[in-house]
Amino acid sequence: MTRFIIPLIAVVLFFLEPVFSLFSPIELGDVRYTLVPRFVIVYLVFIASYYDLRKAVLYGLCFGLLYDMYHIDIIGIYTFLYPLICFLAFVIIRQVHRSTGTVMLLSLFMVVLLEMMSYLFASLIALTSISFEVFMTARLVPTVIANLIFIILFGWLFKNLIYKRVVEKQAGM
Amino acid sequence: MPRFFSNKRLILLLVGVIVLVALIAFSLKDRQNANLPEKMVKDVVGFGQSLFSKPAHSITGFFDDIDGILNTYEENKTLKARLTEYASTEVELADIKEENDRLRKIIDKKDDLRAYDPVQATVISRNPDQWEEKIIVDKGKSDGVKLNMAVLTANGLVGKVVLVTKYTSTVELLSTENQNFRVSAMIPGKKDIFGLMEGYDPERGELIMKRIDSSFEVKVGQKVMSSGLGGIFPKGLLIGEVTEVSTDDYGLTKLAYVRPAAEFSMLDHVMIAKRQSATEKGTDDPGTSATEGEDGS
Repeated sequence: MTRFIIPLIAVVLFFLEPVFSLFSPIELGDVRYTLVPRFVIVYLVFIASYYDLRKAVLYGLCFGLLYDMYHIDIIGIYTFLYPLICFLAFVIIRQVHRSTGTVMLLSLFMVVLLEMMSYLFASLIALTSISFEVFMTARLVPTVIANLIFIILFGWLFKNLIYKRVVEKQAGM
Repeated sequence: MPRFFSNKRLILLLVGVIVLVALIAFSLKDRQNANLPEKMVKDVVGFGQSLFSKPAHSITGFFDDIDGILNTYEENKTLKARLTEYASTEVELADIKEENDRLRKIIDKKDDLRAYDPVQATVISRNPDQWEEKIIVDKGKSDGVKLNMAVLTANGLVGKVVLVTKYTSTVELLSTENQNFRVSAMIPGKKDIFGLMEGYDPERGELIMKRIDSSFEVKVGQKVMSSGLGGIFPKGLLIGEVTEVSTDDYGLTKLAYVRPAAEFSMLDHVMIAKRQSATEKGTDDPGTSATEGEDGS
């Protein structure tokens, strides 16, 4: 049963991302704050650290490709970044003690990393002209806060679900 | 500590980077048209997306309704005050419309740049990494949407269609930083002033109207609308209001900052304007080059 729930959640998160970004540019005072939902990558980091790197990279490739084709119309950016982030998360989690807190922190760090790399890409192919400082204040910080709320709300759920699946798999073997 | 950059992985990474660069270069070249797999992905994902977005819209709509009910008393008071004014303007408008029709008949002119057929569409997603200001709506080629058509809300123009598949279309918003995004605009007055909406100032949150002939006098507070001379957009769609006038980088033409009339966040329902008179490839179409130097005036 959990076997199907794990990819299903990834699909749901993939569809929820653009729905939440409909709320996005929030104007407070005179500054427009951009919130970027990065739900899929948070979930993939959880999969990579608790379950299986290969699955995480595979999901990363699929959803990255869908993301590129559907939203960006430039194929290759997220197709590359998602698996890379999964791989990095896997490498880091092996070095530190694996508890729910550290995995949550790691997923947040990976969101920051992904956001930085997407900024790098965007400025490289001239999609944006904002300076690094503006990027930090008007985009990165709000994004991190928004995703932190998401991680705190759903981190436990993800962990428990994935644990259940791991136990199930071991019992099956 | 394990070595995580063994030879095999290094080669894999390098091949990955090369494929990535090749793919990006390939897909950057022609972003106006989607190839077949892209179109299929867009339609299928778009269908799934609308399953999620439409309930979300109804939820936000519910909260808007509550908000509306709470403000009813205040609104009712101001609306009542404006009601008498409205009745007289409506009579005047009907009269002027009729006269316009009659005059058109006299000079035997059937085409009207202003006339358009609206296609109602629901926004199903906004580009989640918001580097580009793009939304995807649930109407596509099968509903008669074509490339570069104008997209508007009740408040005014919001953007134009940049990519069409069978059941979805991608709309780039006016608040984009894309250099090739142009809309031919005009400031109506005793003498119409023509220019191009070109670029967006993210810090001011205002659009920039460029290439205004320096002999014209633009005043702060004047309304800006689409001119219909770009070939695809109908005439008379409200864009915004002039907030500041200055000269451009070379000092040859004027430029004006325009506060957009429409909101670009929280879009849920939009209209795609199908112009009734013949369309032409012009400045509304970024595919055409050699727009330098012509400013329609």
